[in-house]
Amino acid sequence: MNTNEIFKEFHKAAKDPKALMDRYIGEGKPVVLVAPVYTPEEIIYSMGCIPMGAWGADIALKESKQYFPAFICSIVQSILELGINGTYKGASALVVPSLCDSLKCLGQNWKYGVSDIPFIPMTYPQNRKPDFGHDFTRAGYERVIEDLTKATGKTFSDEALAEAILLYNKHNAAMRDFARLAAIHPEITAAQRSDVYKSAWFMDKAEHLNLVGALVDSLKESAPGPKRKSVYISGILADSPALLEIFDDLDLFIVGDDVAAESRQYGTDTPDKEDGETNLDALVNKFCNRDNCSLLYDVDKKRIDRIVRKASSLRADGVVVILTKFCDPEEFDYPLIKKACDAKGIPCILVEVDRQMENMEQARTMLQTFKDMI
Amino acid sequence: MYTLGIDIGSTTSKCVVLKEGKEIVAKSLIPFGTGTKGPMQAFEAALSESGLKEEDISFIMATGYGRTTFEKMNGEMSELSCHGKGVFFHHPDCRTIIDIGGQDAKVITLSSGGAISNFVMNDKCAAGTGRFLDVMAGILMIGVEDLETFALQSTSPISISSTCTVFAESEVISQLSKDADKNDLVAGICNSVASRVAALAKRAGIKEAVYMSGGVAQNGGVRTALSRELGCEVHFATDAQYMGALGAAIAGYEKL
Repeated sequence: MNTNEIFKEFHKAAKDPKALMDRYIGEGKPVVLVAPVYTPEEIIYSMGCIPMGAWGADIALKESKQYFPAFICSIVQSILELGINGTYKGASALVVPSLCDSLKCLGQNWKYGVSDIPFIPMTYPQNRKPDFGHDFTRAGYERVIEDLTKATGKTFSDEALAEAILLYNKHNAAMRDFARLAAIHPEITAAQRSDVYKSAWFMDKAEHLNLVGALVDSLKESAPGPKRKSVYISGILADSPALLEIFDDLDLFIVGDDVAAESRQYGTDTPDKEDGETNLDALVNKFCNRDNCSLLYDVDKKRIDRIVRKASSLRADGVVVILTKFCDPEEFDYPLIKKACDAKGIPCILVEVDRQMENMEQARTMLQTFKDMI
Repeated sequence: MYTLGIDIGSTTSKCVVLKEGKEIVAKSLIPFGTGTKGPMQAFEAALSESGLKEEDISFIMATGYGRTTFEKMNGEMSELSCHGKGVFFHHPDCRTIIDIGGQDAKVITLSSGGAISNFVMNDKCAAGTGRFLDVMAGILMIGVEDLETFALQSTSPISISSTCTVFAESEVISQLSKDADKNDLVAGICNSVASRVAALAKRAGIKEAVYMSGGVAQNGGVRTALSRELGCEVHFATDAQYMGALGAAIAGYEKL
C-alpha cells in the first residue's frame, strides 16, 4: 500500500467505528467502551476484549438533556445520547474514569439512562504521585477487573497483562514515530492526521500498530511536501470534520499537538516492573507517571511550558487552543498558555468548539485571521 | 487601477471602490446582508456611483460572513483582517479597533505598522451586538438610530443586569411596565452593550488610540459608555460601517 492508501484505511476505521464494533463482536471478542481520557485499556485487552473509544459524536442532543444541565461538556452529553439511542448496542460495558466533574456525572447518568450496557467506574486519585496515590489507583484497577469479569465473563491474569502492556508500549512508540514524521511532512492534511489518531480509538491495537508501522515506513521513504504555515494545536478533542476542513481549506499545517484524544495518549509507557511488583503494579505506575494534561493535578502546571517548548521546537508559526465548550480544566489552563506564548512571542488563539456545532463560520473567521497574522 | 471591496455582513452589505489603493471613488450600503439580494445590489450601486463597469475592476475582494458565497469575488479575506486595514488606512494612530457588528463583536489590536497583533471575538450570542440594540429599540418602539438621542438625555441610567438578550428583553419590558423613564432605559441598554464589549476589549489588551468601527459605532450612547468603561477616549472611525469593505478593497489592491 502507498501512503495515501494507508491513510484511506485509517479514514475507513475512523469514519465507521460501528462496522468495526460489529466485526469484533462477530469474532467473539467483547467490545468494552472506554470514555475519555485515560482508562486502563491494557487490562481490558488482556482479558480478551476490545477497548473502543467512546468520545461521543457530532450529533444533535435530545434524550441526554433529560439527565444533564444545558451548560456541560458536549462530549459527555453525546456519549450518553449514543448510549440511549442504541448506537453502542452490543458493547459489554462502559468504563468511565473520574478525571473531571462532567465525567463523574456521565457515569451516574449512564446508570439510569442506559440499562443494557453496564457502567464501570474507574476512580482515580487526585494526588497520584505519593504511595497512597498508587494504592488508590491499584484499588480502582482491581475494581475494574472485578466489574469486567462480571460484565464479560472473561478472567484476568497478570501474565496476559504483560503481553498487553508490551503491545501498548509498542503502539505508543509507533504513534510517537508517526508524530515525529508527520511534523516534517507538510503534505499530510489535518483530516489525514486526525484519522490516524481517531482510528486508534476503534481498531484492535495490534491491527492499528501494523498500519501505523506501514505508514511510518512509507513516510520515511517519501520526500516531504512544500512548506506551509504551521500551527501547534492543543485541546481535548480536535476531530470535527468541519473544523479539520477549515484547517485544510486555509492551507494550515498541523505540525504537532497536545490534544488529549491524540498525542497526550502516547507520551507515557508502562515502565518495567520492579522486583516484587506485578504487571498490574507496573500499569499503576504508568498512570501515576503521567503528566502534562489539564485533567491531571499538577500544582506546577508543567504542561504550559511544555506546550511552548514543543511549539518552538517544531517551529510552529502559532498555537491554536481548540477549547471544547464548558470544559473547565481546559478553560483554567488557557490564560496560562496564552500568557506563556505571548512571553515567547508565539501567536496564540482560542477557538471554541462543541459536538453540536453545525456552523463553524466563526472558527473559520478566527483561523483565517490568525493565518493572516502569523 | 480599481479594486472593489465588498463586506457582506449579517444585516447589511457594503461596497467600496478604490483607485490605485488610495482614493475612495465610490461606496454603497444596502440594509440587507448575506443570503439576500443585498450584496449584489450593493455591488451594482457602487459600480453605478463610480461610473465604472465590472470589467474595469481589477480585483474584487469579499469579506464578512457572506464572503465565501459572493460569486463575483476574486478572493476572500476575514473581516477582522479587513477592518484592521480599513481603520489603519484612515487612522494610522489606531492601535485598538472595537468592531460591533450586527451579530458579533470583535476587538483587534494593531502594531505600529498596522499588522494585527491580537484579536478576540465574542461568543455566538446576541448580547453586546447590534442585534441586541435592534431588539431593544423594537421593544421601545423607537428607531435604532434614535437610541443615541434618548441616551444623551438620560439623567439616571437604569441597570440592565441580564447577560442574555432574551432575558434582557423581559427586564426592559418589566421596567416599561413600571413606567421607567425611556431615556434612562435606553442609556441602560447602551451601557449594557458597552460593559460586555469592554470586558472583551480588556481580554485583548487595550492600547490607545482606540477606534470603533461597524454599524454600532454610530451610536454615541454606546461610544460614550464604552469610553467610560475603558477609561480612555474611544474615537469614531470615519465611515465606520465601510471599514471592512475599504480594507477588502485595499487587500485586493495588495494582491495585484
